[in-house]
Amino acid sequence: MKLPRGRLLRSRVVSAAGTALSTVLDGALTGYVVFEPQDALLLDVDGRGVVTFREGVPMLVYHTGTDRGGVDGLADLAVPGPYKIDVFSLPAGKIEELHETESLRVRPGVPAERVAGDSGLADRTRSRAREHGLMPDEDALADEADAVASFLDDEERIEAIKRQARAEAERQASEWGLEDELVGDDGRE
Amino acid sequence: MVEAFAVASGKGGTGKTTATLALGMALAEEHDVTIVDADTGMANLLFHAGLADVETTLHDLLIEEREASVDAAVYERHGLSVVPCGTSLTDFEAAEPGRLRDVVASLGADTDILLLDSPAALGSKTAVLPIVLADRVITVLSPTIPALSDGLKVQEYASSYGTDAAGVLFNKVRDDARMDTVTDRTERYFDGPVIGAVPECSAAHRARAAGEPLLSYAPESPAATAFVDAAAELTIEPRDSAAVADRFRSAVVPDRL
Repeated sequence: MKLPRGRLLRSRVVSAAGTALSTVLDGALTGYVVFEPQDALLLDVDGRGVVTFREGVPMLVYHTGTDRGGVDGLADLAVPGPYKIDVFSLPAGKIEELHETESLRVRPGVPAERVAGDSGLADRTRSRAREHGLMPDEDALADEADAVASFLDDEERIEAIKRQARAEAERQASEWGLEDELVGDDGRE
Repeated sequence: MVEAFAVASGKGGTGKTTATLALGMALAEEHDVTIVDADTGMANLLFHAGLADVETTLHDLLIEEREASVDAAVYERHGLSVVPCGTSLTDFEAAEPGRLRDVVASLGADTDILLLDSPAALGSKTAVLPIVLADRVITVLSPTIPALSDGLKVQEYASSYGTDAAGVLFNKVRDDARMDTVTDRTERYFDGPVIGAVPECSAAHRARAAGEPLLSYAPESPAATAFVDAAAELTIEPRDSAAVADRFRSAVVPDRL
């Protein structure tokens, strides 16, 4: 991954990757974070992990040591902390160009789940992604299907829609002079 | 013997006209089918069926002074009898939608199945008329909350007017894996069965652009085969033509809608 040079916002050591993901989400970072495990030598892991973000939502993952990206790159990154993290901001246009590299993409909630093991953070990340239209198509579809299924589970709401429609139909029928066409509950006319 | 169906949605963009033509063509394998563009304010069947340039349309039948005969607006295309509607706003305003019942009554005398492509709304007399006149309604829905919610309204309007439910047809389905759940739950609230789930398919857009019905443009496409399967789920309940014609003619529909 060729990374344009961003503006360094901060550089510090954190004990766990989840801390960085959470801070970046709260700050709605558009840019990237470089993770460098402090025990690199000890762990025999060479290289650094890079995660790009939009509005605090992780988009791409790449590991410089293993040259792997996406979910695989994330596995390489998931080593015990502490990490030195460098947070860079980039203009949205620049980051968009990078995000065309599909092979490095991760789903919004996955880094929080896999690296930080934090499902609450993953949920917060997904809802941010939804807010900004950053959910990948297949996730957005699954979301929509879930929403439809839960709508259809809400029996009370559906009965209310039906009741309201029936009342509306009857009111309009009398306004339109169609009341003779209306039937009771017992069938046609 | 005839049965009249309103193909309705309550919401635009569900692919109702594509569905009307596709179901009509599939049913025409075994039945004599007539389809009518009863969406007189937003007609588009003519574009789907390659009838954009025809002289006489439903509008002419709905304007008394034109003195057009019903036969003049019936075109034999794709194995069907097609009655397109024009797109002129002036004609729409001059049309007397109440005359639709006579048109439908005449057409019903000569066919097995009448499919009325109905307006995608319920807010006017013109829009509800096909639902009032039909024996049963086929509700075309995309699997989204607004479409389902409007589909429920269509069903309530239909049953208020004594029109039965023939079934729900899901169209533009993008997430096939979840459809079983959605179908099960939909059947709880709708009176008829879910007769099919037609996948979103680029062939439908290409067919529309080519001015050809999906079933002749891309008969092997996933959407076309799903429409054929859905048509096979419809059990036709033919009624006595004369009685149906009488019912249409006697429907108390004001002349001016």
